[in-house]
Amino acid sequence: MNKDLLEQLPTEEQPIASKLNSLVEDMQLSQSFRWELEAQLMDRAKTTRPTQSWFTKMILPVGWGIAAICAILLLNWAIHSLVPAQPSAGATPIPQASFEDKVRRGEICTGPLALAHGFDVFLTNTDKTKFTTLDAGKSIGELRSFIWASNGQQLALVGNTTGSGNIYVTNSNGDQLQPILSDSQVGYLVDAAWSRDGKQFLMWSVQDNKTLYLVNADGTNFVEKQLDLQILGTPQFTPDNQNIIFYGADATFSGLFELKLDGLQTRLISDLVEDESGLALSPDHSQVAYIEKDRNLGEARLIVEELGTDSKTVLGTLPIPKGLGSSLPESANLSWSSDGKSLVFDFGRGAYDRAVYLAQADGTGLIRVVDSAYAPTISSDGKCLAYISNKQVFLLDLTRVSSSSTATTIILADLPAGRAISDYRLDKLGWKP
Amino acid sequence: MTIHTHYPSMDDARLAYEARTDPQAFAELYRRHVRSIYRYHLAHTGNVKDAEDLTSLTFIAALEGIRSFRGTGPYITWLIGIASRKCALFFRGRASKPEIPLDAALHISSPSLSTDKAAARRLQVDRLIGALQTISRDRAEAIILCFFSELSAAEAGLVLGKSEAAVRMLISRGLRDLRTRTSFALEMDYE
Repeated sequence: MNKDLLEQLPTEEQPIASKLNSLVEDMQLSQSFRWELEAQLMDRAKTTRPTQSWFTKMILPVGWGIAAICAILLLNWAIHSLVPAQPSAGATPIPQASFEDKVRRGEICTGPLALAHGFDVFLTNTDKTKFTTLDAGKSIGELRSFIWASNGQQLALVGNTTGSGNIYVTNSNGDQLQPILSDSQVGYLVDAAWSRDGKQFLMWSVQDNKTLYLVNADGTNFVEKQLDLQILGTPQFTPDNQNIIFYGADATFSGLFELKLDGLQTRLISDLVEDESGLALSPDHSQVAYIEKDRNLGEARLIVEELGTDSKTVLGTLPIPKGLGSSLPESANLSWSSDGKSLVFDFGRGAYDRAVYLAQADGTGLIRVVDSAYAPTISSDGKCLAYISNKQVFLLDLTRVSSSSTATTIILADLPAGRAISDYRLDKLGWKP
Repeated sequence: MTIHTHYPSMDDARLAYEARTDPQAFAELYRRHVRSIYRYHLAHTGNVKDAEDLTSLTFIAALEGIRSFRGTGPYITWLIGIASRKCALFFRGRASKPEIPLDAALHISSPSLSTDKAAARRLQVDRLIGALQTISRDRAEAIILCFFSELSAAEAGLVLGKSEAAVRMLISRGLRDLRTRTSFALEMDYE
């Protein structure tokens, strides 16, 4: 077991972890078996040519098949484009086109859409036909995330250069990149959060997840706070900037905690929260939404809690397997619409067995809006839902969404290449507030 | 056997590419990962003989399918994927878990330990593997991947389809279960 992982375990579990590690070290493979198997593998490698997989065998005929279909479609398109189409009597306008036109012309769903993908961060261009990288000079290193300030005027970018965290800030057009923390000694940064007034950042590092860092938005007044509990997901400020809320673990519980920055007293909000990005503060920071997983009842619950009063509302439930022995679906990318009236999140297993859900904040409905999709975010006017599916970014017309009808969807753009291959869980979309 | 001196310095992805045409590159990959795969199977089967058989099957399958490794993730996670499928097939073919008593079947090779101590260690390993079978499957799997197969939390996350933080949490909870609920905890207390 690697030493970093051992050191990050809670103190109570370290003796048993060390004991386990020492026992595992004793499980040695016999040398004779090791050599025999190596010799057997070498013989096999020399005498048999690696067999072609079914994929390799099928690729050529399938490739020709696809090429033939493409040629037919191209020919069909060419013929239709030469002959002008006659409008049919009584034809109704195609809603898909009008929705797309309004988006491209900037009449609805205005403001740039940010995307984190492949260790890079991008913004949409004016007509929303493509994404452009924000760090063309690659000065921020391996980009992990972005965070919009609540007024939408600034966008913070979090990256790392050989394990040292960087935070840069740019304006909403992405053309004035300024360093806040550069090549810092805080270690590898995963994410950060703005205070509601946009004057402060908080951040944490995976190397030492019991330390919280605070810094002013101009890079001054860097403060380090040692905590008694581990941070497992990026904390968020409460409205008064006096407390933070985050997914973490103390010696007894793991779950959602509230911590007072002055004095560091903690309150366990829920020990049924199990996902690091299943938490979102409302735009006015007066409510916190989170997803609990109740293994006894076999349900995941989307909950909104009023900060200060602790009054909770269950907005909806989703079924999960019952019992401790089951692997559960994960929730992620929980976020609010700018007007605080609805929430979106994705829920499922892996990138493909995953769906986007939309909930009304007043508790009047939770609906599954898109299958095989993730990273949802709602535009500031509440009219578009952006999400990723099958390596493309889509927009869905939220004004036509209901549980009984299918809404219009358009492809916004393909996912750009990025700097390196990364897992789908690092992908994130965020519309300018 | 010719040893290619440049192979030890190559990363796994490059070696896997070379291994398509050069058996020595595959041999280097085998030497790097055989211990992880063996311990993975030993943790699941609790039996040296079965663990050795499954290790052989895993590497033979890896050799035959090396061209299908595309380098989109670490080689070890690809190999563990093969190992887990072999393990699943092994248990599917059996009505129950191994019938041979674990303590009789485990092989502890520690020349520095006296016979009594080696026997005690063998019993502890026996209890550990037994205890792992009593805690939830995803927690046990995270412990097996990170402790037995020595994967990082990120690599284990790729195997389990979970985030790095979720893997850390599974390990933390799994260790707590081992400490509070199982006979392995009693073993700790006696020391």
